[in-house]
Amino acid sequence: MKRTLLTLSAVGLALYASLGAVLAHAQGATEYDQVEKGRYLSTLGDCAACHTAPGGKPFAGGVAINTPFGKLVAPNITPDDETGLGKWTFDDFQRVMSEGRGPGGYHLYGAMPYTAYTKVSEEDNRAIWTYLQTLDPVDHLVVANQLPFPFNQRFTLWGWNLLNFDKGEFEPNPEKSAEWNRGAYLVEGLGHCGTCHTPKNLIGGDKSSQFLEGSVVDDWYAPDITADPHKGIGAWSEQDLVDYLSTGKNRFDIASGPMAEEVEHSSQYWNEDDLRAVATYLKDGRNADAQAPTPLAAEDPRMVSGGEIYADRCAGCHTPNGAGVEGLFPRLADTALVNGDSAASLMRVVLAGSRAGATDAAPTAPSMPAFAWNLSDEEISNVLTFVRNTWGNAAAPVSPSDVAEMRETLEQH
Amino acid sequence: MSEKSTPVRGVTRRQVLTSGAAAVVLTASGRASAVTIDGTPQWRPFDHNAADAVDPSQDWQFFTAEEAATVEAITERLIPADELSISGREAGCAIFIDRQLAGFFGTSERLYMQGPFVNGTPEQGDQSALIPRQRYRVGLAALDDYCRRQHQARFAELPGESQDEVLSGLERGEVPLEGIEAKEFFSLVHQNTMEGFFADPVYGGNRDMVSWRMIGFPGARYDYRDYIEKHNQKLDFEPLSIAGRSGWRTQG
Repeated sequence: MKRTLLTLSAVGLALYASLGAVLAHAQGATEYDQVEKGRYLSTLGDCAACHTAPGGKPFAGGVAINTPFGKLVAPNITPDDETGLGKWTFDDFQRVMSEGRGPGGYHLYGAMPYTAYTKVSEEDNRAIWTYLQTLDPVDHLVVANQLPFPFNQRFTLWGWNLLNFDKGEFEPNPEKSAEWNRGAYLVEGLGHCGTCHTPKNLIGGDKSSQFLEGSVVDDWYAPDITADPHKGIGAWSEQDLVDYLSTGKNRFDIASGPMAEEVEHSSQYWNEDDLRAVATYLKDGRNADAQAPTPLAAEDPRMVSGGEIYADRCAGCHTPNGAGVEGLFPRLADTALVNGDSAASLMRVVLAGSRAGATDAAPTAPSMPAFAWNLSDEEISNVLTFVRNTWGNAAAPVSPSDVAEMRETLEQH
Repeated sequence: MSEKSTPVRGVTRRQVLTSGAAAVVLTASGRASAVTIDGTPQWRPFDHNAADAVDPSQDWQFFTAEEAATVEAITERLIPADELSISGREAGCAIFIDRQLAGFFGTSERLYMQGPFVNGTPEQGDQSALIPRQRYRVGLAALDDYCRRQHQARFAELPGESQDEVLSGLERGEVPLEGIEAKEFFSLVHQNTMEGFFADPVYGGNRDMVSWRMIGFPGARYDYRDYIEKHNQKLDFEPLSIAGRSGWRTQG
């Protein structure tokens, strides 16, 4: 009898134990999914772009962001108790994402794109937070606020928020498809495309009425990505957009500068559905009926000179008719980036050269040589004026003083 | 210098032994310093590997005023002005030579310049212990010394005919120069004058691409796709310098 009881209880214990294991396993699977979801979402948000220094430990902070007001450094967001987020709760994190305010209520600077992240759902934030908790804690002290007075006074951000911050989770548009809404959620939220691509007002806030119409960031032009057929992405197909975001190149362009970094670190890892959703949303953007301006006359002396320089210095790679070579030399003819309101990227790339981004799908990373040493400011302005007003392009001429200013800025870096 | 005047042809047993010993020492102490590149080659903004353009209006960088006058006189005689082109002097050959001597060419920076120095065969190329700066400094001084002895005037002051005579004598090795072999000196100046006349104008010579226009060389172009089908047509390219061409200028 005693033996039977013992046996029975042993069986019971064994049963209980195995049931526990099953439960624990189920819990583990949920947590695993949550961590993986958070990992993917943190890639969508490209958190590493600012929070992982080149060559540094993941998410340990240290990337300096040059704003027109001074320098801000992205903090350590690993779960380190002293120098990271170790003592934070999810509510602290949610408040950062949703309100741009840290524990205790201090205001974050807009370099942390909470004006976009406010649209992220609490559910997604929870996944990101779960993922961040799994990171190795790194002891790395970062002084985030390196702005000069008066910009270093965080209370001033209260007024800034009043003017520039529209708090609240993304609200789907019931008249649009689920795919469209997913795209809008990504572009306006975690993707924070507007952080670079939306023009800024004098105090660095988004000009919401000009959402995604292009802006100069760090001496690069983040182009217009509205559906404008002349200077936006209106002439691109959805496949062109998916190609660009997932490989860094399409039949028009190859990503360079900060966008190359975005593609390398973030969008090449987005899943196909999300890329398609973004393409659907962007293709349905504003300005689809925008009219192209009239190009400068081919007889304009700047155009004549520019054409000669183009033939001698540019045509070898970009081809005499500006068609380029797909995947190697970007197309210049009838191309949105060339028609942009700002020629900053064009001037920069001609002066200092550039290397395109490299992705797993397109690992070549072709580079453009620098011409600062053998083209004068006037020659560069003429050749860019020519390119911006030939082969279907039409845009404001570039002046020698614009080039001189860019040359000086770049050489100071 | 002393090695140069040694009448021994070829290499002596002693030299083989000493240079062999030197080779052993080199092998023991020398470290290879080849560059290894991993992954994608580095890319840097503003990177380029061309020499900075010469400013012809600047003062002489290596020559003294007297030396420059002598070199200008030589280049005037080696490439005289005629119905085909301006002269070597007018094209800036002396400026080209001056800037080359001031740069790494002048110091043989890229050549092996440790001994032993022996007279090699012509196929073995330049064996001189003198760097180009020394060859010009020594050679030009010796040339003027020779002219003062023979003609009571510096080379630059001689009438053209006498200059031609002296230059021909140098070329044949019949004019004795103190400190340098006349043929070696002449061939260097002759070669550098031709280089100055035909090199890209950014280096100080070939003013307005005069030699390129003369021979119909289209310059530093690299893309002829627009012309590849144009058979048996005169293309009349304006030559293109590294520094550009007049068509680049904004007209009016």
